Amino acid sequence: MSDTDFLLESRGDAQDLGAWVIGVAFGREGRSCAFALGDGTVRLAEGWQTVAAHDGACLSICADAKDGVLTGGDDGRLMRIDPDGTASGVATYGSKWVDQVAAHESGLRAAAVGKAVHILDGKGAALKSLAHPSTVTGIAFDAKGKRIAASHYNGASLWFVGAKESSPRLLEWKGSHTGVTISPDGTHVVTTMQENTLHGWRLADGQHMRMAGYPSKTKSMAFTAKGRWLATAGADCVVLWPFFGGGPMGKAPTELAGGDGVICTTVACHPTQEVVAAGFDDGLVLIAEVGSGRVVPVAAPRGSAVSALAWNGVGSHLAFGTEGGFAGLIDLSKR
Amino acid sequence: MSDTTAREPVPVTVLTGYLGAGKTTLLNRILTENHGKKFAVVINEFGELGVDNDLVVDADEEVFEMNNGCICCTVRGDLIRILGSLMKRRDRFDGIILETTGLADPAPVAQTFFVDEDVKRATKLDAIVTVVDAKHLLARLADSTEAQEQIAFADIIVLNKMDLVTAEEADIVEKRIRGINPYAEIRRATKSDVPIDSVIGRDAFNLARILEREPEFLSGDDHHEHDSEVNSVSFEVDKPIDAERFNAWITQVLASKGQDLLRTKGILYYADDSRRFAFQAVHMIADGDFIGEVKDGDPKRSKIVFIGRDLNRPWLRRGFEACQAGEDESKIQAEIARWSPAPV
Ligand SMILES: [Zn+2]
Repeated sequence: MSDTDFLLESRGDAQDLGAWVIGVAFGREGRSCAFALGDGTVRLAEGWQTVAAHDGACLSICADAKDGVLTGGDDGRLMRIDPDGTASGVATYGSKWVDQVAAHESGLRAAAVGKAVHILDGKGAALKSLAHPSTVTGIAFDAKGKRIAASHYNGASLWFVGAKESSPRLLEWKGSHTGVTISPDGTHVVTTMQENTLHGWRLADGQHMRMAGYPSKTKSMAFTAKGRWLATAGADCVVLWPFFGGGPMGKAPTELAGGDGVICTTVACHPTQEVVAAGFDDGLVLIAEVGSGRVVPVAAPRGSAVSALAWNGVGSHLAFGTEGGFAGLIDLSKR
Repeated sequence: MSDTTAREPVPVTVLTGYLGAGKTTLLNRILTENHGKKFAVVINEFGELGVDNDLVVDADEEVFEMNNGCICCTVRGDLIRILGSLMKRRDRFDGIILETTGLADPAPVAQTFFVDEDVKRATKLDAIVTVVDAKHLLARLADSTEAQEQIAFADIIVLNKMDLVTAEEADIVEKRIRGINPYAEIRRATKSDVPIDSVIGRDAFNLARILEREPEFLSGDDHHEHDSEVNSVSFEVDKPIDAERFNAWITQVLASKGQDLLRTKGILYYADDSRRFAFQAVHMIADGDFIGEVKDGDPKRSKIVFIGRDLNRPWLRRGFEACQAGEDESKIQAEIARWSPAPV
């Protein structure tokens, strides 16, 4: 047993799932933890139960509005998996892929299918369909569930979900945007880009923010609990951009957990504390405290990149999965 | 518990050609022939016929400019997403076949394999296969730039519908193809009936294979084509190449002329290196690597070929010659200066 595996061995449950883990999510009810796989199945950590979700591959997963999870697949289906593993279809979109899914605790759900973002209510009824100029690559609700952002070619669109008239605020920046997030206070929108940079907009005045210098593409980013930092993957450390004191414009980012020369592939921020979990290209999983820079290893490198990482709602459990299909769930609560 | 995913890159075959040339017939032959291989197929939304395969993906052909704002530096955004997603279940297939519409410019497809880090890591471009209709190709070439580009980009050309032309007509068509691309392998066919292993698993885009085939230039190829026509020129030099000079020169040539250069390929023998260097570029986007030791008795003649429009043969020849080690330094400076933007 490697020292780096101490937490996984002593407080974790690990399993080889045999297929690429595309994402992991905890249900909002606080019990279920679901891993979505490239072979179309969803595995529940409890008993490692296998749920047949998609005929093809799972492409996306998120916590559903109240409990359980939502998944999107290349079979054109939006599925819901109950905490007990019961799978049910929410919507079908023909031969198109359901590339992205999102849900808000208010009951709203969203699915990105080609150039459209479909908004559904808690019962699965279609509320509206938002059209974009090119394929939607990422979606995110704001903290209140009032707005949804969608990234695409040449920028992002920000929509008021409840508005009668549907036209978005277009946040323009030339190039291919590959993912999007909204700051917890709703004041900033940030996208990842094809060309190893992030782009941000301050919504109050439309001020642009370029966050560059990554050696590789950023495929994962998350704001810390109170929105002070944006943690990002794509470098050989966790890069954190300050969103306070006038930043990130003109401010240097803070780097955590660097030094091994291995690219960080995934980040997940703790829901209440300024703590970031990070997964690396060699399979290493760790948690780092932003203030002190202290790093605690969670799982040792096993040779395959970490492709999924999530905290549960109260921040007591961390789940991760790799491209090679290795998955773990660790209890980090005080004992 | 170990979990290693280091795997061989998945070969991708690009099938291109005009509507009605027989592209889908070839695709269905590849899929149905008993070769024991499974393919994921990426088809365009205007496909001619149904494709009978387990894993078929519809592509939108979304061509995106890269951030430098240059009109020739483009990639296929949909392809980056689709290939990325296919990699998550790559145990289900042995290779990927990518069909493009008859009107598609092959450059963004090829450039995607050079530019995107994930695509580069997980896949390799095996070959660009262009299916052309022997009876109608000359007319197509006269009225469309895409038809010329599809010939220029091809590693393998299936000259189809041979039953509809005479031997003399076929020779004329083949000669015209050679004028555009002397390096492509031409396979004559009726109903796309070429051996599957002549189009799949060719590894033609591999740097090590570059220029392995002797070009089939037309005799007396110095006749001047119309400027807008796609054409090719190639040069060989005897003395070893000075790596620094070549890099400085080719960088400048691609930067200033890249929009007109469809493909550039070279095999170089550097001074002070016992290995051969393979170079290739699609428009301005270049790639290169050492491809093994020089063999005894190897003539060590460095070669370069440019396929593109409006090629200035004397400039390109003199430039390549000035890259030889031992040539006067002022020569290469002058050749680089030719391609540099005029001082503002
Ligand atoms: Zn260009």
